[in-house]
Amino acid sequence: MKRILVIDDAATVRLYHREILEQAGFAVIEAINGLEALEKLEMEGPFDLYLVDINMPKLDGYGFLKALREKDIPQAPAIMISTESSPRDREAALVAGANLYVVKPIRPEQLLPQVRGLLGEGHPS
Amino acid sequence: MALKKGQPTPPSHHPGERREPRNLETLLQTLLDEDAMKRRWAARDLAEHPAAAVALITRLKHETDATVLQVIITSLGCIANDVAIGGLIDCLYSEHALLRNTAIEVLKELPGPVAPHMGELLHNPDPDVRIFAVNVLESLRHPQVEEWLLEVILRDEHVNVCATAVDLLGEVGSPQSRDALRTLKQRFPEEPYIQFAADLALKRIGAG
Repeated sequence: MKRILVIDDAATVRLYHREILEQAGFAVIEAINGLEALEKLEMEGPFDLYLVDINMPKLDGYGFLKALREKDIPQAPAIMISTESSPRDREAALVAGANLYVVKPIRPEQLLPQVRGLLGEGHPS
Repeated sequence: MALKKGQPTPPSHHPGERREPRNLETLLQTLLDEDAMKRRWAARDLAEHPAAAVALITRLKHETDATVLQVIITSLGCIANDVAIGGLIDCLYSEHALLRNTAIEVLKELPGPVAPHMGELLHNPDPDVRIFAVNVLESLRHPQVEEWLLEVILRDEHVNVCATAVDLLGEVGSPQSRDALRTLKQRFPEEPYIQFAADLALKRIGAG
């Protein structure tokens, strides 16, 4: 079963993503910010995909992705999720190492094809 | 070389140890030093000088070291006068995520000084700024928090602003939020996240 690390400081958002992804057959692990995500990475090894919010306390999504990409581990895909829709934010996310930049609100019918596509189970929409 | 008995021990200077005086003028000069460690010390010590608020805010626009940025924002939070609060609020408009997020964390701890600005922030034309304002409410210990959140979910037309507010209402909402949460669901019937979060909030409040 593919493991996805969901990183978001909002508990409701994490639960929402968990329900969508688990119903689709993925295993979900949660982190409340980038710092905790790095700790989970150390403890539980690399994940198959990272779903990353941008704005989080302690270590934001950009900081997490930068640290992730600097680690000597397989470069699993990362989807950066944000409320911000400007081209500037999208570009910053991609520069930081995101494979996809998705603007909230997240809909299951949009998210799942993107996740499966990045995991090699289809094509990202 | 052995020291002679009775000879004063020479002052030990550890790497990064401060030798500069801590008066306002010197600290303001050090805030512009090329050495990031010195700027960080100066920014920290300037927290005791309310008159330094303008200089700290000005430095924010040019500072490139992340740790110095964080210390400057923390010092502005310690000063917490009108100038400092204005500078922290301006960070919500920044394109710099670290700057924004650090300012949000500091503003959360300042309910008194932040409260007078909240109405204006929640009506800002930029939805991102309104979202950051709701983020500030997350742990702002102020009696109006629920009232502000209810206003957002009843009035704001941007789904992501409402989504951020409903997340928080699930944690701090009381039974008086029930009707507004049901209204929110009707306002965004096609948004799965709003339906999910509002249902969860209603369940937590005890009206599921």
